[in-house]
Amino acid sequence: MADPAEDLPEAAVRRFSSGAFSSGLTVPDFAACLQLGLQPVGLVQGFCVMQWGWYGSGSSYMRGANPYSMGGQTAGAYSESYRCPHGYVSAEHRMWGQNLEQPWVEQAWSSGYHSAYARMLEEATALGAHGVIGVVDRVTQVSDSQTSEFHFLGTAVTVDDGPPPAGGTPWTTYLAGQRLTKSIEAGFMPIAVVASMASVRVWAYCITEYLMEGGRGWGNPNQVQEVEQVTKAHMAVRQLARKHVRQQLVGDALHGVEIDVVKRELAQGDEVIDCTIRGNRVRRFKDFDNVPAPRPTVRLS
Amino acid sequence: MTQPADLPKDATHRLEELEHGLFTSDLSVNEFLLVKEAGFHPLGFVMGSSIYHIGLQTRKWGESQELTKLTEAMYTARELAMTRMEEEAEELGADGVVGVRLDVNYYEWGSDSAEFIAFGTAVKAEDGTSYKNALGKPFTSDLSGQDFWTLLQTGHVPQGLVMGTCVYHIAHRKLTQALGSVGQNVELPNFTQALYEARELAMTRMQDEASQLNASGIVGVRLEEKSHQWGSHTIEFLSLGTAVTKTTGEVTLPTPLTIISLDN
Repeated sequence: MADPAEDLPEAAVRRFSSGAFSSGLTVPDFAACLQLGLQPVGLVQGFCVMQWGWYGSGSSYMRGANPYSMGGQTAGAYSESYRCPHGYVSAEHRMWGQNLEQPWVEQAWSSGYHSAYARMLEEATALGAHGVIGVVDRVTQVSDSQTSEFHFLGTAVTVDDGPPPAGGTPWTTYLAGQRLTKSIEAGFMPIAVVASMASVRVWAYCITEYLMEGGRGWGNPNQVQEVEQVTKAHMAVRQLARKHVRQQLVGDALHGVEIDVVKRELAQGDEVIDCTIRGNRVRRFKDFDNVPAPRPTVRLS
Repeated sequence: MTQPADLPKDATHRLEELEHGLFTSDLSVNEFLLVKEAGFHPLGFVMGSSIYHIGLQTRKWGESQELTKLTEAMYTARELAMTRMEEEAEELGADGVVGVRLDVNYYEWGSDSAEFIAFGTAVKAEDGTSYKNALGKPFTSDLSGQDFWTLLQTGHVPQGLVMGTCVYHIAHRKLTQALGSVGQNVELPNFTQALYEARELAMTRMQDEASQLNASGIVGVRLEEKSHQWGSHTIEFLSLGTAVTKTTGEVTLPTPLTIISLDN
């Protein structure tokens, strides 16, 4: 599947030649879609199964070394080292700690996400769609634990009397139904779904390890103390994900952002924090329409 | 059990009672109100079931392939359950069945067997208009009462719950393949293509069913994936949705009202 432009499965081509449209929209979303002047033309999908590489298990020998100098890995934008202030020399005592961005993980995620997305767009283009609404994307594990599948689904639509999409590429949005209607009424047209992922590895040093195990404040048992190394890793992973997604906006706005943070402990004192940001890239095309005054309601159920 | 005469004795007795005016339904009160508002009356809760022995099929360890015997079994069993539910609805003189649900149950006493059940609420138009589908049978739909009402407002009517299924064996990776890509982030094109093909086959079969009903489209398509009892490398891809046709020309939908809820 090297060339996304020509690699649609035969079954997909047969499905598109059928007369009936299919749509993954709920009935309320379907009704709102018709009201907005959009006609569903087909359910479109894209997939990519990726194997994740092996990145080592956090050997203590690597602590303090430049993580990007080994194995030809791309340098990350963030790394921070922590050094034990106690001066102990012991295999049990963690003298070095490090937070580091893992660009090789981010690139793998980005490759899987964008390949699956490109295939969904390819199906939409084959249907002559102007856009894809109600996009859902997910990442699931496939049978073998080392592989993940990136999966995109959406409903391809045409705009009544609308011009073909700029550059021939259909626009996409996670929104559908009244949420999409409200966004357009507010003066924003959908451009594309955008997402990014950032991954930071935390190798704890002695103080972090002590505090993470439930130890009281260092040097003052009665004092509540922040775990600085982990706090910084959490802040960094979110900032990196935001930075990556901002690079995809090219001056447009990002609406409806969802941030998902997953923390995995690999071994005692070693953990990975992954942050995924998804949202809708939108562009203002008109002034905001005033929303009518809402009518108060009370449910009887 | 393919003719209406093959309904169980108790089912015939229950349906006779329903024909005398009493109705049963699994609709919620709100759904009931909206079905009535749409001009339909619930006639009764209808169901169909089929206990099916699922055969064996050999699979090649290192090759992704459709398991056609299993696909056929999963499809036929659901069709049998659906047909029996439609028979119950026809016995009641229904125009259609709303809120259809399809379940699969496994029992300890029946290894390699599964019970496929379809159930929903049979409804009839109050003004006497026939809403039977292009095949002259009551329509079926997995739409809730609310969705049924909304769909009718768009000028569409349901034709039938359509489905397509594909049971697919995902190849195991050979040791040489696994070693060849160890430590790398790479796409596995064979896996991508296999899963892609399996889903497309399920969706194509669903669309074929819709075409037989002369439907103009399918709404609320769901793509479900289950391994049932076959292990993680054998997956059933099931595509389900409600086939619809457009009945009227231009429809002007009411502008939604902006509300603010005073509930907690």
